[in-house]
Amino acid sequence: MPSENEANSDTVQWGGLISAIAQHQDRAAFAALFEHFAPRIKAFMQRSGASEANAEELAQETMLAVWRKAALFDPQSTGAAGWIFTIARNLRIDYHRRESRGGMVEASDVEIEFLIDDSPQPDSILATSQSEDRVRSALTKLSDDQMRVVELSFFEEKAHAEIAEILEIPLGTVKSRLRLAMTRLRNLLGELS
Amino acid sequence: MSIEHHPTDSMLAAFAAGTLDHGQHIAIATHLVSCPQCRTFTRSMEQVGGAVLTSLLPAAMSNDALAKVEARLNKPMRPATMAETAPTVPEAEVPGLPKFLRRYQFGNWKWIAPSVHLQPIVLPYDSDTRVFLLKSGPGTRMLQHTHTGIEMTCVLSGAFSQDGSHYGPGDFDLGDDTVDHLPVVDPGQDCVCLVAMQGDLRLHGLIGRMVQPFVRV
Repeated sequence: MPSENEANSDTVQWGGLISAIAQHQDRAAFAALFEHFAPRIKAFMQRSGASEANAEELAQETMLAVWRKAALFDPQSTGAAGWIFTIARNLRIDYHRRESRGGMVEASDVEIEFLIDDSPQPDSILATSQSEDRVRSALTKLSDDQMRVVELSFFEEKAHAEIAEILEIPLGTVKSRLRLAMTRLRNLLGELS
Repeated sequence: MSIEHHPTDSMLAAFAAGTLDHGQHIAIATHLVSCPQCRTFTRSMEQVGGAVLTSLLPAAMSNDALAKVEARLNKPMRPATMAETAPTVPEAEVPGLPKFLRRYQFGNWKWIAPSVHLQPIVLPYDSDTRVFLLKSGPGTRMLQHTHTGIEMTCVLSGAFSQDGSHYGPGDFDLGDDTVDHLPVVDPGQDCVCLVAMQGDLRLHGLIGRMVQPFVRV
């Protein structure tokens, strides 16, 4: 994890690039975003079980979606990395469905499954530019072990049993650690809001 | 009335991570429709996802990756499919459902037991979880039973009591093979719940198993 200050400057920088794409189809901004995020999205997809070739394709598709959806990015309510994560997540779900159904599923279907409100705006309580910073500073307060289980929970294609194997701890410990980490994270988020 | 029973933080995190089974995703989404507090936590977990993404060791992209994507930047998007479909279940008929779920195919109500009816929801994707609406008449009592898999329940309308707790609209309950349930529906009103039940049960087996546990008080 980068230090908090680096993280903050990152937030501004990446968010600004997405806005530049939205405002004037800035290709240089896109190239800079691509260079930073595409290899990380590819790593994310590989960690989720995609082959190297599929992870490469999914990273490209995610970045294409970043370009096309740039106008929907709202820096007041979400961080750049969090926003790109949701796009990657939806494409990962779409990919798994296509794998099991044979190419009939559209990514746009996944998106609406995460839109819970009628309004596309997030709830006002989170609609602050601090939301990403808040989350980042909460994360820095987790212990390394806690952060690792939180991280691994984003790759649940791996069952908890596999997490246990990776961390070389009993399954029950993974579950209780995840529960504790989540409770601590929620408390930290509460304190910071 | 405020919501008292929520999904666990780990479940909400799994929702945000996009790792839940589709049927369970629906059950959590249904709770989120009514619960701003859990929506907020879920959105925070999406930011955590961003932090995790940023922290990963980069995997090298192929040399022509950027050029390939740049060549496609000005091509039009394929049109959405599901988003264009008209809702099949209006808000007035079943309150509290997530919008996307209203576009799914709902089966016919089936009689399960006296004053208990079940309406299956047809999922467009493979899932090892069955999702259905369960409508129980006032005062219905379910006999004590256990589950073979995880069962998520979210109240849509009406209310029931269970183990000394009261469950109203938006309240969420998780049952697994370690939990004995003994819910009793409040008098005066039907109780409609969305249920996501895990397990590879045949319809015949499901009905058979469902008929047994219900009796009218």
